[in-house]
Amino acid sequence: MKITVCIGSSCHLKGSREVVEELQQLIADNDLKDKIDLCGTFCMGNCVNGVNVTIGEEIFSLKPETTKNFFETQVLKRI
Amino acid sequence: MNNLCTEIDYRSLNKFGEELCGDHVDVVEQGENSSIIVLADGLGSGVKANILSTLTAKIISTMMAQSMSIEDCVATIASTLPVCSVRGIAYSTFSIIRIIDSEEAEIIQYDNPHVILLRNGKNVEIPETVLEIEGKTIYQSRIPIKRNDIFIGMSDGAVHAGVGKLLNFGWKREDIIHFLETLYDVRFTAKIITGMLLDQCGKLYQNEPGDDTTVCTIKIRNREQINLVVGPPANPNDVRKMMSLFFSKEGKHIVCGGTTSSLAAKFLDKPIKAEFNYVDPSIPPTAEIEGVDLVTEGVLTINRVLTYAQNYLENKGSYGQWRSKRDGASLLARILFEEATDINFYVGKAVNPAHQNPDLPINFSIKMRLVDELSDCLRKMGKRIKVSYF
Repeated sequence: MKITVCIGSSCHLKGSREVVEELQQLIADNDLKDKIDLCGTFCMGNCVNGVNVTIGEEIFSLKPETTKNFFETQVLKRI
Repeated sequence: MNNLCTEIDYRSLNKFGEELCGDHVDVVEQGENSSIIVLADGLGSGVKANILSTLTAKIISTMMAQSMSIEDCVATIASTLPVCSVRGIAYSTFSIIRIIDSEEAEIIQYDNPHVILLRNGKNVEIPETVLEIEGKTIYQSRIPIKRNDIFIGMSDGAVHAGVGKLLNFGWKREDIIHFLETLYDVRFTAKIITGMLLDQCGKLYQNEPGDDTTVCTIKIRNREQINLVVGPPANPNDVRKMMSLFFSKEGKHIVCGGTTSSLAAKFLDKPIKAEFNYVDPSIPPTAEIEGVDLVTEGVLTINRVLTYAQNYLENKGSYGQWRSKRDGASLLARILFEEATDINFYVGKAVNPAHQNPDLPINFSIKMRLVDELSDCLRKMGKRIKVSYF
């Protein structure tokens, strides 16, 4: 599974670095490094709703504080 | 014709308690490849010395630029400088370094510490001939210049640094050469060398210089063209035109901005590989596109580079911040400040709708202002800047 996090200017200011770090931590904690491919992308053109994160084609709007919830509700069920 | 050019930087420490500096440096550029640099040190200190050295440097640089002989210059100075009422003489020492067609250096020196030449980091003694003009002993030299040659001129404040305090006999010319040879790094810009030497003089004087101290560094280097594109064009139909002009230029290519890098990647038909290298938490990571030398985020990165540029120009000594780090802003700063001599900016004027959000500290006018201010700073560093808008 591929999770892509936007690291463009706007998402960066809204906390994409924290989102990335949290996801990296969660993936490591759940021992999912082989199953999840976490990568970054520049602007997705959807800055108003940032931080933008996609799983496949599906787009999600995250905040650093909602990342854990996103991981538990969206990522884990897709594994 | 070779590809060499000169990078010139000079700075002074004023004698402790003086508002004016008694040393003066004047630079006259003659066309693209020749320049005349005069460092003059006026008798005494304060206002009087300032006037003497300014007059001397200006007279010599102007006359030399008009191809007048050194004899005429010296005669003119001797007969026009105001005579000091205390000492009954008109006096200012000088060093002239003249770069001719980026091929040869002519050095003429009168009573200043002799110009130091570092060639590949090692001191080279410059052969001199002695002239007697108007009773003054003047040393003249002509030598071919090579890439990475560094000429360092200084006033006697440098060799007297620390005299009677930290050092018995001051910081002798040999000591300065040793200091420079030890610290030498081929990547140092003229500005960094001037700064290092002058900071050391300041330390030896324990921050209370006993004399005006001036260092002038001239680095001979290759011209290096850098091209930087930031922002998509106002008219989306101009993307191809903008990108093909940008990529057809010689030299390194830097792409700044998320949307801009997608456009560049599309133009080159290569994927973008974004990285998670958060070296500096406030600077978004860089990315990679085959065929582009550096891909960074836009406004936040350039804003940081601008801060570095302003500090660098004001000698705030924050070199450490960008000289070694690997974040986008530091990488960009190193290329623009150290590598580049000629920079072409390709600035797209499209408005990013996402940046119009009033909650964000970035917007369109800030982006335009950033590029303007950065190019001003780079011009002040002696770079040749061209900005094209799309």
